[in-house]
Amino acid sequence: MLQVIVNGVALGAAYALLALGFVLILNATSAVNFAQGDLVMAGGLLAVALSTTWPVPGIVLLPLVLLVMALLGLGLSLVAYFPLKSRPPVAVFISTIAVGIMLQNTANALFGAEPRAGPPLLGGGVVEIGPVVLGRQALSIIVVAGLLIAAQYAVFQHTRLGRRLRATAQDREMAEALGIRVNRVIAGTFAFAAAYAGAAGLLLSNIFFVTPSDGSNYILKAYIAVVIGGWGSIGGALLGALLIALFEVVFPSLPLILPFLGGVPGAAWLFSQTMATILLYLALLAVLVARPQGLLGETVQRRA
Amino acid sequence: MTTLPQAIVRLGMAVPLAVGAALLILWPLVFSMAYDLRVFTLAGIYALLVIGYQFVFGHAGALALTQGAFFGLGAYVTGILGARYGFGFLLTFPLSLLLPVLLAALIAGPVLRLETHYFALATLGIAQVLLLLVLMAEPLTGGANGIPGVPGVEIFGNLVPRGLPMAIFIWAWVVAGALVARQLLRGLYGLAFHVMRDDPLLGVCIGLDISRMRLVAFLLSAAYAGAAGSLFVHTIRVVSPEALEFHVMVAVLAMAVVGGRTRVAGAILGAFLLVHLPEWFRVFEKSYLIVYGAILLAMIVLAPEGLVGALERWFPPQPAPVPPSEPLPRRAIALAEGPLLAVQGVEKSFGGVRALAAVSLVVRHREILGLIGPNGSGKTTLVNVVTGLVRPDAGMVRFGGTPVTAWHPDAIARRGLARSFQATHLVDALTALDNVAVARVPAEEMGLRRALLSRWHDPALARSRRHAMQLLNTMGIGEAAATRAGALPHGVRRRLEIARALALQPALLLLDEPAAGLSESEQIDLADRLAALRGGWRSPGLLPCSRPCCCSTSRRRV
Repeated sequence: MLQVIVNGVALGAAYALLALGFVLILNATSAVNFAQGDLVMAGGLLAVALSTTWPVPGIVLLPLVLLVMALLGLGLSLVAYFPLKSRPPVAVFISTIAVGIMLQNTANALFGAEPRAGPPLLGGGVVEIGPVVLGRQALSIIVVAGLLIAAQYAVFQHTRLGRRLRATAQDREMAEALGIRVNRVIAGTFAFAAAYAGAAGLLLSNIFFVTPSDGSNYILKAYIAVVIGGWGSIGGALLGALLIALFEVVFPSLPLILPFLGGVPGAAWLFSQTMATILLYLALLAVLVARPQGLLGETVQRRA
Repeated sequence: MTTLPQAIVRLGMAVPLAVGAALLILWPLVFSMAYDLRVFTLAGIYALLVIGYQFVFGHAGALALTQGAFFGLGAYVTGILGARYGFGFLLTFPLSLLLPVLLAALIAGPVLRLETHYFALATLGIAQVLLLLVLMAEPLTGGANGIPGVPGVEIFGNLVPRGLPMAIFIWAWVVAGALVARQLLRGLYGLAFHVMRDDPLLGVCIGLDISRMRLVAFLLSAAYAGAAGSLFVHTIRVVSPEALEFHVMVAVLAMAVVGGRTRVAGAILGAFLLVHLPEWFRVFEKSYLIVYGAILLAMIVLAPEGLVGALERWFPPQPAPVPPSEPLPRRAIALAEGPLLAVQGVEKSFGGVRALAAVSLVVRHREILGLIGPNGSGKTTLVNVVTGLVRPDAGMVRFGGTPVTAWHPDAIARRGLARSFQATHLVDALTALDNVAVARVPAEEMGLRRALLSRWHDPALARSRRHAMQLLNTMGIGEAAATRAGALPHGVRRRLEIARALALQPALLLLDEPAAGLSESEQIDLADRLAALRGGWRSPGLLPCSRPCCCSTSRRRV
């Protein structure tokens, strides 16, 4: 039971990194980066590629993955955002879909369509705390993701760069008027978001494997997290990511936790990963209909 | 005498369209190998799918990601009924249209009122749910393997053979679909879609029922997608979850962007090019999809209007000749006796800012009322409340004796209340004439049925343009009729807005700072015209205005 929850939190921590980048770009540019999911996949495959030539634990590869992915994010902003920044946000949505296709199929051409496993973060095995046995992988994912999120928080709250990022996110024109070089800040946001998505890919690559076509699945997860947490709220997105990951991991193992559910006809069919995903999407639609401002968000009045 | 190039330019798009159609007819005759014909047939199926997608993506301007799902649903309806139960084309085809339309109607309620990314991602979520359900319902759908052995198209016992006959059969459907799309959108209804896509706020203020138009576009695209899905399965004779996967949606989106979002020719060109692309780029083998992505990216950055849009820039269509003017028919609005407009105790706060505090006023019939106040005193907010754009926190608005506080803005506009905007709202790409003509949509009761049943040259559009000409002359800007609104100077744009408001033949006209940004002589001219309107039109106005000079025309001020 505890192991299931720890696995859920580990998945949630990785989703949180993904949702964080999504929401930062959304705040800075009011555009949706549809390639965010494919960036996770790219980070995962990068880790796979690095570890095959250089077999070291994932944690050693992390700085390199962050760096390469940040450069990729910079490139993404140059081809898919800046040429379109004065157009309606939907244009960026489409251009990032295009980049997503390119990433996915490049990965397909380089690595093939089969799932690949990335390097373990610190090494496998289990940790025993008294009677409880926990996977070392899952624990180390939680710790590393937690540290990355804490680092993001520290940068945002306590540095000049962070203040500029926040100012740009709140009011781009005002920030520009105050002499902040908004374009640089936005390019930085893309780099940052891509780096964190790549980190999520590295963290997930060992337990959950990587497939080139993972992207659209991840982008929907990020989107659901952001919708649940309230469009544009960073804290809400992190919490949303955690909630959906817990649901995804706990729901299929419900018959294990509550044995009487195993007797329900069609239990194997009902309590499956696929069904969990379907329920998640339906919940997303329900939230959109009932509370478009998100479960945690406040009502935003639009000016006519 | 005109030279040949001049003559070509004068014909406008007719030349490239004729060349394109000729090439399309020649294509299957030249490339007549079985494999080439198969690709050509596939291009036709995608063309039909993209023509449908243009309704929602191009004309309604909503990035729907369900088109692939509707396509897959149509495919599965035909596949399951055809292969498992042996039903023929005449039964499966209508059902393959109907089911996607029903699904679209079902999800339209919650989803269609969402905007931009909310809408796009919600529709993507629905598409994914459908794919997962198909994978899970293995007894019915065959799961990941799908269902083989779907029969070909059989009509009254005659099987349409593979090869050229099937290609002609599919392309006949493309022609039919193209004609229906053209019929719907070439007239006044198409103009209404243009306004709704470019400026939805303006759309509701001239009485367009935008939610209805969105629904119509969404259902139409579902019907086209279902048809394409059914034909697809009849062509490849097997149905599998591939028909539902995201790459179908991406292909459709790329075709619409590459060809052009609102032109039928663009849909056909985009589908033809992108279906043949993998054949032409054999060197890339499986990674042609990278080229796909690169082309989509390049098009959205470099030529957002698509290839046909770019062609139209080289071969600009001749502007329609300026029509003669024609007086508008009298419009009788049944309004109760008593005050025309009564605002009682209206309050509105934005966050902590109280814009309106217990505002009450009355406008009587045949009266011009001036509303004066400094910047930020809530004049525009009051206009927004009265026209239904902003819902008040408290208070009541009665128009002609009817409480309209809870009404939608488009219903209020149709009831006889027109407005102008403080910052001009005009569709820059349309001519001045069409900017006014589109406000005749409610008067012409233009909708889906009327657009479908109208003759080849939409008489409602011609009539609306003649009426619009009359109004442009009334405002003294008749010579600007054929100019794009974006190219007009500010003073003319102001008057154009008033002409458009008059096209609704309102009982009450709300002019929000009509003189803002005008020179003194322009202001005097405007005041004279408004005074003249009052005599001729029996149309009183409420003039929110902060400048004393303008209000010399108003009899009473608040």
